[in-house]
Amino acid sequence: MRLRRYVLLRVLQFVPVTFVVIVLNFLLIHLAPGDISLLLAGENADPAYLALVREKFGLDKPFLEQLWRYLIQIGSGDLGLSFRSRQPVLDEILEKVPATLLLVGTSLTLSVAIGTWIGTWIARRPGSTLDSAVSFAAVALFSVPVFWFGLMLILLFTVEIPILPAMGMTSLDGPRSGPGYILDIARHMVLPVAALMTVSVGQYVRLARTSVADVLGEHFITTVRAIGFPERTVLHHYALRNALLPVVTVLGLQLGLVLTGAVLTETVFSWPGLGRMIYEAILARDTPVIMGAFIVMSLTVALASLITDLVYAALDPRVAL
Amino acid sequence: MNSRILALAAAGALMLIGTAFAQGQPATLVVPQTGEPKTLSPNMASDSHAFGPGSNVYSHLVALDWGIVKGTTAYGDLAESWTTSADGKAVTFKLHKNVKFHDGKPVTAHDVKFTYDTIIRKKYPSFVVLKNVREIAVADDHTVVLHLTDPETGFVPMLAQVSTWTAKIYPKHLWEGQDGFEGGPHLNAPIGSGPFKFVRWEKGGVVELEANPDYFRGRPKLDRLIYRPMADINVARAEFDAGRLHYLPYDYAPPLAEVPALKRNQNIKVVFTPSHFSRDIQLNLARPPLDKREVRLAIAHAIDREAMNKLAFNGLWTPAIHASVESQGEWINRSAKFPEHDKAKAEKLLDEAGLPRKADGWRFAVTVTPPNFVDCKAMMEVLVQQLRQVGINAKLEQFDQATWFRRQFEKNFDISCYFTRYGPDPDAFREHFATGGGRNFQSFSNKELDEIAAKASVSRDRAERKKAYDRIQEIVVSELPYINLFNEQKTTLLRAGWDGFNIEESGFDKSLTWFGFYAVKPPGR
Repeated sequence: MRLRRYVLLRVLQFVPVTFVVIVLNFLLIHLAPGDISLLLAGENADPAYLALVREKFGLDKPFLEQLWRYLIQIGSGDLGLSFRSRQPVLDEILEKVPATLLLVGTSLTLSVAIGTWIGTWIARRPGSTLDSAVSFAAVALFSVPVFWFGLMLILLFTVEIPILPAMGMTSLDGPRSGPGYILDIARHMVLPVAALMTVSVGQYVRLARTSVADVLGEHFITTVRAIGFPERTVLHHYALRNALLPVVTVLGLQLGLVLTGAVLTETVFSWPGLGRMIYEAILARDTPVIMGAFIVMSLTVALASLITDLVYAALDPRVAL
Repeated sequence: MNSRILALAAAGALMLIGTAFAQGQPATLVVPQTGEPKTLSPNMASDSHAFGPGSNVYSHLVALDWGIVKGTTAYGDLAESWTTSADGKAVTFKLHKNVKFHDGKPVTAHDVKFTYDTIIRKKYPSFVVLKNVREIAVADDHTVVLHLTDPETGFVPMLAQVSTWTAKIYPKHLWEGQDGFEGGPHLNAPIGSGPFKFVRWEKGGVVELEANPDYFRGRPKLDRLIYRPMADINVARAEFDAGRLHYLPYDYAPPLAEVPALKRNQNIKVVFTPSHFSRDIQLNLARPPLDKREVRLAIAHAIDREAMNKLAFNGLWTPAIHASVESQGEWINRSAKFPEHDKAKAEKLLDEAGLPRKADGWRFAVTVTPPNFVDCKAMMEVLVQQLRQVGINAKLEQFDQATWFRRQFEKNFDISCYFTRYGPDPDAFREHFATGGGRNFQSFSNKELDEIAAKASVSRDRAERKKAYDRIQEIVVSELPYINLFNEQKTTLLRAGWDGFNIEESGFDKSLTWFGFYAVKPPGR
C-alpha cells in the first residue's frame, strides 16, 4: 500500500517537472545569440528574403507568443517540424533511438558488469599492490577524454592494423539481413563500445571496490564468515548485495543519459544515433529538433530516476517505509 | 600468441582489400560529408549536405562549376542554348530533346516551368534570383521563355550559380500533387534526370547513387557514388591516409603546413582551386574612427600581405592587391591598387588624423571578428598583430557562425574578415558596395558608384560595362570600405590516378555544378 502511494507520488511529480523543463529549454534556446533565419535562408539571402523567412517560421512573433504557441503545440503531443527537413521532430528522434540504445546500452551493461566484478574482486584485499594498481588504472581510464581515446582506437585498429571498421553501423556492401547483418553491426560496434566502456568502467570499479570493502568490514560479515560459509558466498551473496546500492544510483544517473550521453563517441565514429543528430542540429540551429531532443532527454532522466528509486525499494526495503 | 592472432587477422584483412581491387569491382567514389542531408529535396531549403546528392541526381536549366575561375559564367545543362530579347526582358531557352527522367518520362519545358513556378510561389531559397521573373511561358515542349520584370544582364549567370544549390529541375508528373517540394514519396527517393540515379538512403548512414546508363550526355565513368557522413575531420583524414577514401574534399582540408610533405607523396595529388571570392576585411564606416578615410588608409598601409601569407598560409595563398580576384580575368582593373605596406606612413597618417599614441602607447581600440572559417581565423590573428605594431589596440573576438552573421547584418562590428564575391557576373559589386546593398555591412555609400553600378547592371554593352566596373574598383580602393587581402583558395586531396574532379581543371565546365561528379575518371577508365 505504502509502496503504491510512493510510486504514484513519484509518477505525479513528472507533470510539473516536464512543464518546467519545456519552459527552461525554450528560454535557453531563445536567449542564445545568433539568427537562425540567416542559416535557413542560405548563401545568397538578402534582407527582404530574410524577413520573409522569419515570417514563414514565426520567428518574427514576440517572444511570449512564440513560447505560448510552443506550449500549446507540445501539449497536443506535437514536437513540431524540423526547420531544415520539414519533417516531424518526433519521427526524426524515434528513428535514431535504436542505434543509440544499442551502442550506449551495450557499453553500459558491459561496464557495469565488468566494473563491478573487478571492483568486488579487488575489494577482498584493500591496500594490496593489485588493489593500488587496479585503482590507479581505473582513475587513469576515467580521466581519458573519450574522443581522444576513440581516435587512438581508430588509428590503431583501422589504420595501423586494419582489422575493424572505423565508422558507421554497417558496411557499404554488407548483408542487409540475417546473421551476417548482425555480425556486421557487431563488428562496427567493437570500437565505439570499447571507447565508451573504457571511460566508464573505471567508475564502477572504484565504486564497487569501496562499497564492497566497507560492507566486508561490517559485523554481520564476520558472523557469516564465522558460521563457515565459503568465501565466494560471503562475497557475492552477502557483501555484494548490500554494496550494490551506490552502483545502482550511478547506473540510474547514467541510464538517464543513455540516449544522449554519447555525442562525442557518435561523432567520432559516425554512429547514426541521437547524439550525432543533436550535434548537427545545434550547429544548424534547428531549434525544434534541439528542443525536442532536450525534452526527450529530460524525460528519460526523470524516468531513469523513477526506475532507480523503484529498484532501490526492491533492493533495500527501508526505502519504501 | 595474441600478437600472432593479430598479425594473422591483419594479413587476412589486407588480402581481402587486395582481392577486392583486383576483381575489377565497380568504380565507387566515397564522398565524405561533415553531416547528413536533412532531406533529398534540395530545392526547398538551404541544406548543405543535400547539395551533393541533389546535384548529381537532378539536372539544371543552366549550370556553372569551378570553371568559373577560367571565365565560364554559365553553360547549358538541360538548355542547349539561350537568347536574350533586345530589350533584355525575355530569355528564351532551347532544351535538349533526348533527355529522360530516371523513370523514363521525357524532360520538357513544362517541367522547367512547373519547378520555377513552385519555387517562386513557395518562396524557396532560389527565389532570391527568380524574384525578377514575371512570367514563365512554354512556347513548345522544348522551348521555355522567362519574362523578367527588369532587364538584368547577370540573370543567367546568377541562375546558374543558384542552380548549383537549390534550383534543380523536378519532374512535374511526380510532384504536381504535392504542396511544394516538402513531402511525398520522392522527398527522400528523388527521381531526376541527372547522370546518377538514386539507389538508397540509409538514415544516419550513406546515400548511394549509381550511374545512369541512359544519361543523355553518355553514361558517367563512375559506377557508384556514395555520400558518407563523417563529422570528425581527423577520422576522415585517417581514412584517406589508409587509402580507403580516394578524395578528401576541401571541408576536410589539411593544415597548409603539411602540404609540402603531402606533395612529396607520389600517391597523393594536392589540388588548389581558386574561386570568385576573396578573403578581405570589411571596415565599419558607421563607427569612429573608422569613418575617417585617413584612418582606413593607415590601416591599409599597416597590412603586410606577404608576412600574413607566410604566417597564416605557409606562403601558399595568392595575395590580392586589386579590388577583385585573379579568376575575374579581364574584369580586373589592374591599375586600381590597394595601398602598399608602409608602417611609417601608417603611423604618420594616424598622427595627422588626430589619433596620436597615448601614454600607454595605444592610439585607439578596435575589435576584429572573423567568421567561423579556418582561413579567416588564421589571417585575423596576424592582422591583429600588424595593427598593434602601428599603435592600434586590436583584439580578436570570435563567435559561432550564426551569431557572427547576425552581428554583420546588424552592422555590429569594427573590422570583420569577409568573403567578397566578384562573379559570376561583376554585378556582384552592387551587393557589396552600393548604398543599401544586401551585403554592404560597412554602411558604405557613394553616389557615383551607385549610379554607375545601376546602369552597368542592365547594360549589355561589354565595353561600357568594363569601363563602369573599372571605375567602381577605382572608387573602392580609394575610399576603402573594405581591404582585399587574398584570393580565396581551396585545398583538396586526391589519390593518384583519379581525375576529372570538379575542383581541378580536367573537370571544369563539365562537372555540372560545384558538387557534380559527372566528369570524374576512376583509375584505369
